Amino acid sequence: MNLNTKATAQNTYDAIVIGSGISGGWAAKELTEKGLKVLLLERGRNIEHIKDYTTAMKKPWEFEHRGRLTEEQKRTHPVQMRDYPYQEFNESFWVNDLDCPYTEVKRFDWYRGFHVGGKSLMWGRQSYRFSDINFEDNLKDGHGNDWPIRYKDLEKWYDYTERFAGISGQNENWPALPDGQFLPPMEMNCVEKSVKKRIEDHYKRERILTIGRTANLTVPHKGRGKCQYRNLCSRGCPFGAYFSTQSSTLPAAVATGNLTLRPYSLVSHIIHDKESKKAKGVMVIDSETNENMEFYAKIVFVNGSTLGTTQILLNSTSDEHPNGLGNASGELGHNLMDHHFRCGASGQAEGFDDKYTYGRRANGIYVPRYQNMGNDKRNYLRGFGYQGGASRTGWHQDVAELAFGGDFKDQMTVPGVWQMGLGGFGEALPYHDNKVTLDKTKKDKWGLPVLAIDCSFRDNETKMREAMKNDAAEMLEAAGMKNIVTYDNGSTPGMAIHEQGTARMGNDPKTSVLNKWNQMHEVSNVFVTDGACMPSIGCQNPSLTFMALTARAADYAVAELKKGNI
Amino acid sequence: MNRRDAVKSVAFLMGGALSATTIGVFLEGCQPSKNSSENLFSADQEKMLAELADTIIPTTKTPGAKAAGVGPFISLMMKDCYPEEAQKVFVKGLEDLEKNSKDKFKNSFVSLTPAQRTELLGKFREETIAAQKNDKDEAAKLQEKEAAELEKKPEKERAGNPMAAKKPVAKHYFFAIARDLTMLGYFTSEIGATQAYEYIDIPGRYDGCVDMKPGQRVYA
Repeated sequence: MNLNTKATAQNTYDAIVIGSGISGGWAAKELTEKGLKVLLLERGRNIEHIKDYTTAMKKPWEFEHRGRLTEEQKRTHPVQMRDYPYQEFNESFWVNDLDCPYTEVKRFDWYRGFHVGGKSLMWGRQSYRFSDINFEDNLKDGHGNDWPIRYKDLEKWYDYTERFAGISGQNENWPALPDGQFLPPMEMNCVEKSVKKRIEDHYKRERILTIGRTANLTVPHKGRGKCQYRNLCSRGCPFGAYFSTQSSTLPAAVATGNLTLRPYSLVSHIIHDKESKKAKGVMVIDSETNENMEFYAKIVFVNGSTLGTTQILLNSTSDEHPNGLGNASGELGHNLMDHHFRCGASGQAEGFDDKYTYGRRANGIYVPRYQNMGNDKRNYLRGFGYQGGASRTGWHQDVAELAFGGDFKDQMTVPGVWQMGLGGFGEALPYHDNKVTLDKTKKDKWGLPVLAIDCSFRDNETKMREAMKNDAAEMLEAAGMKNIVTYDNGSTPGMAIHEQGTARMGNDPKTSVLNKWNQMHEVSNVFVTDGACMPSIGCQNPSLTFMALTARAADYAVAELKKGNI
Repeated sequence: MNRRDAVKSVAFLMGGALSATTIGVFLEGCQPSKNSSENLFSADQEKMLAELADTIIPTTKTPGAKAAGVGPFISLMMKDCYPEEAQKVFVKGLEDLEKNSKDKFKNSFVSLTPAQRTELLGKFREETIAAQKNDKDEAAKLQEKEAAELEKKPEKERAGNPMAAKKPVAKHYFFAIARDLTMLGYFTSEIGATQAYEYIDIPGRYDGCVDMKPGQRVYA
């Protein structure tokens, strides 16, 4: 055996973090701040804060296709183009699907961004805590396994992550949506204020409507600028006004002097050491040169996105872990979930013709879950929340179909109808057979076996969608809206880009992959703190919970390392 | 390098002093004389596009679509962003428009008066509304039939995809595309965004409830 000890020493760190998105950025920040030398691996290119947000300051007329996709972009991005996020405005932030295919046993829309920052650059920024209702649902109705933690375990970590990330919002003392450490809330517009009052009066505050809690700064925060109300967040913010790896966690990690960031580093698998029964390090493929190299560390944090993480774990096989790393339970790859949405109602507000708004608020309103709580009982399990808002556009009720000409043009430039919409985000149950496996018949551009995704929504979700439409219409009616219409545009798993599960936490190693510290039951120095870890998904936007779980797990991991337990 | 790129690099050399709109107008002013392989449209059709757009969004108290460079924009969009079948439908639509113009007014579309163009386009509009309605009804019938067939299947097979995202109907209509691209091109152009609409690059704050000013325009 030819031991190159110098190279080994050069490639050895205290901790390796796989993935630089929302949770990976947090892992890097926490571990470096606690004094560990950290290697942060990112499979895609680097994107430097501000400098590389190449479209952020462009005016509408400076986009050649004014936001639309070319036929060539549609050809190379057959999945990304399925829904609105992939547009000319931030085209380079989305993967070329032809390079990294996957097998859709059933249709699954997998939105991905391979670059430093991952989806933290394009995320929706809505930030809601889980409540004990969410942590207890699995136990109560028997779907999925019991969460190994409760709200009290995560509360201080929510506090901690919110204080750093900068979340604006309003405390409401609502049982399904715990309060937080918020920056001043954004303002509702006059229609939203009216709708809020009328809904809360009508339902005697058994339903509430609050301003969206969003990771956009309403005041300057930790050296970052406040939101300028351009509503162009998904291009990258030159003011650093929303939370991303680039604006927030990466500079903090860099400031410690303990971070090494390596872009173009695709992890093919985690290397398992038979003797110590721990992970020794990772095998990396340089995604530009295809060169293979190994890196070593005492701790590995896997933050490759829900399915990216599980793909790595499934591909990390050894004599001791023949079905994937830490998969003695057989649960790795199972219990895939996503929110279902694109369903609700909208109506028109009357009596506000003399009112308008100023600025483009990159945020809406939120109606937190109220179903299957207290006296509210439904014919389905769990529940949903609504996101929405009111706005005034150039649309007028009396415009004829396909109208054209001078009068039409001039009318389009005058503020028209006030519209108010409510769109549901519903919890999907953890079904064991919603799963991903490795499809070894197909390889990606780098020669790695691809994922096969087999996931569907079912009866509980279908029933819930009826309520998502009807309740929205009922509330809009109670709020005095006119011409209310309901809609269901259909929702395919993956579309909400809230895919979670496939390496769930739990107290029992026989039925879960991770313990209550996001630590692998079977491999004590491997932690998974992205969406893969979730035993259930609630109906809240999940990223804030990933942040809190990551900070908590990093704290535990370093403490255990210092005690010599890892 | 094609002409558009050439014009753009001139703009670049001039330090970006030419705005996109100016480039648009510049392009509109000097079309290539023959149908180049990379262009869907003949030189005459390129001229038609500008007049067609200007009929859909004419000059009123603010400049219209021609001044905003929408003609070349439609040409570019048709070339880059539409499948071949839509391109064919669109080119045929232009040919029909020219034929109708000559049949009815004994004159080329570009030589018609604005009132004549509006009259002609009104006819195309009505035909498009009728065609869209007809196609929608047929699609609904087909969907009902598919749903009925699905009902016959055992529940287990149905359960897989009860809420699949609806597929958009891939039908193309000349007038609908022309109108859509004119509105997109115009209201996102510098003239459309800043003169017809009100464009504020960096609002800096959000006020949720302000009184409408007299003459208030929609924000771009």
